[in-house]
Amino acid sequence: MSVIEANRGAVVAGAREGAGRPLFEARDISISFGGIRAVDGVTFDVREGEIFAIVGPNGAGKSTIFNLISRIYEPTGGRLIFQGTDITNVPPHMIAGRGIARTFQNIELFEHATVLDNLLIGRHCRSHPNILKELLFTRGVVEEELRNRAAVEEVIDFLALANYREQRISGLPYGVRKVVELARALCAEPKLLLLDEPASGLNTEETEEVAFWIEDINKDLGITVIMIEHDMSLVSAVSNRVLALNNGRTLALGSPSEVQSDPAVIEAYLGGDAE
Amino acid sequence: MRILFKTSYLDDIRLFRHGGNIFWYGLLAVCLLLAPAVLREFYVGELSQVFILAIAGVGLMLLIGYTGLASLGHGAFMGIGAYVNTYLITKGVPFVVSFPVAGLAALAAGVAVALPANRMTGIYLAIATLAFSQIVEQVVVRWESVTRGFQGMPVPPPDLFGHRLATAWEFYYLCLVVLVVVVLGAINLTRSPTGRAMVAIRDSEISAQSLGVNLVRYKTIAFAISAFITGLAGALFAHKLKFISPDAFNIILSIQLLLMVVVGGLGSIHGAIFGAIFVGGLPQAIALMRDYLPGAIAKTPGLEPGLFGLVMILIVLFEPLGIYGRWLKIKAYFDYFPLYRRATFKRQRSYLKTERVR
Repeated sequence: MSVIEANRGAVVAGAREGAGRPLFEARDISISFGGIRAVDGVTFDVREGEIFAIVGPNGAGKSTIFNLISRIYEPTGGRLIFQGTDITNVPPHMIAGRGIARTFQNIELFEHATVLDNLLIGRHCRSHPNILKELLFTRGVVEEELRNRAAVEEVIDFLALANYREQRISGLPYGVRKVVELARALCAEPKLLLLDEPASGLNTEETEEVAFWIEDINKDLGITVIMIEHDMSLVSAVSNRVLALNNGRTLALGSPSEVQSDPAVIEAYLGGDAE
Repeated sequence: MRILFKTSYLDDIRLFRHGGNIFWYGLLAVCLLLAPAVLREFYVGELSQVFILAIAGVGLMLLIGYTGLASLGHGAFMGIGAYVNTYLITKGVPFVVSFPVAGLAALAAGVAVALPANRMTGIYLAIATLAFSQIVEQVVVRWESVTRGFQGMPVPPPDLFGHRLATAWEFYYLCLVVLVVVVLGAINLTRSPTGRAMVAIRDSEISAQSLGVNLVRYKTIAFAISAFITGLAGALFAHKLKFISPDAFNIILSIQLLLMVVVGGLGSIHGAIFGAIFVGGLPQAIALMRDYLPGAIAKTPGLEPGLFGLVMILIVLFEPLGIYGRWLKIKAYFDYFPLYRRATFKRQRSYLKTERVR
């Protein structure tokens, strides 16, 4: 089944079983580096089909939460639950296979490979490499390659990357790299997509474009999205709920307008009341 | 200029992408097959030497150029291949068995190195592999009951199903066949998921991991395959030398192999071959040149290593992608003539990273 079709199926299934049940839960997670508690007892849940935003000043622990979810960091406390199963002890390379894909704040693409190869690496968790068969390049390997390519081409169509297919990442402009990274994450057929500052470094039009894409990914592909973002206009335009963090602790959790008017959030951004 | 009109996804994973490819590689194959009939025996031997270096180069290229793991210990893998092969042959094991076993022994050593090496990158890994090659050298020196230490071991010619490959041209074809098989295997690997996972590790470990690449597994695979191929090269090298002793596989050989892949061009199989031609062929070219140089220069001691070093420095300074990078540029120049722009290749950077903070 194709990426797009597979996910459409999931949307229908989700609607039938009643959307809105939690897809991902973070229960009281904490991590400290030396004496600093980067994330300190944060609890939230992300419902199926939702766009969930995490905001907060620099150093609030937003990206640390992403790194905890992708299991790059080992939490010092708390649990991570995905689709009802505990993933706190799943090794980091198994996370993609479970259905969680991500992008990085400072784009982490494979610089010296083409866009096509980058996206094909995105298919890694959906392929079944067998080294001996690969050395002989057997029919099975060829067929799997063709299937992977077909899946990748769908994502290329979806994000309009056809013009860049054969180009190396090192020659691409920043905005395109952002889209390629998003495409690479989609190639892994995720159920949950983690976007770390999808609009950072983009101009106004590009940001609007990203907003459309996030909505399309959410509505058309049925992928649940957690995004870290500083651009509040983007956050309030696309997200259903917002988690505000400061110094690793939860400040507020609720709809974008609730969070924006929360006194604790205003204080964290603008400083305390100077009376 | 050639414009390819692709009509199937298969077009992108074919071995030969277009007719021109088939023609030129076919011509190369014919030349290589006819070479022993045309060339003097000495040059047939030198070509076999280039093939052996190329085999080792492909092995090292998979590790350095594709996976981004530096190794200063590949001379030791060649040594393991050479000694295992020679020891087994002197014990009466036929070459068809001893040859793959030599590769497997090197593979086992590669896995043993990979286990601690998985925690290291860049310069630290280079030092660790250097230490490994020293250990292997010491073992070869001290384990006299098997290796005969500094006395060395004579190596009988390879024996293929009762037929002794005693002449230079027979050995030449043996090396050629092994090289072709190794190159095909390497190409197959690099166009498969495993090869892409290796490239992913090279360019960004953190995102490779988050896309499902098991770093430990694929680094170990890279080390294992690289060591296996290098071990095969070592086994052939022993037959080429006809006599092996510990100092044939010391740090100098490791450095020569490293130079080969860097000069040839990191990140391509072509690079390994070009590098082997350079390292294997340049001393001969210089020796030939000597006859035509004025006496004062020709008789200067250290002319060969001096020139060798000079060419090395020039390549590293002006062509970070090595001989293959230059080759691509020359090809592009003629493809796009007269529209070639220097800026086309402006954004290139070298692959080898000394450190990577995650």
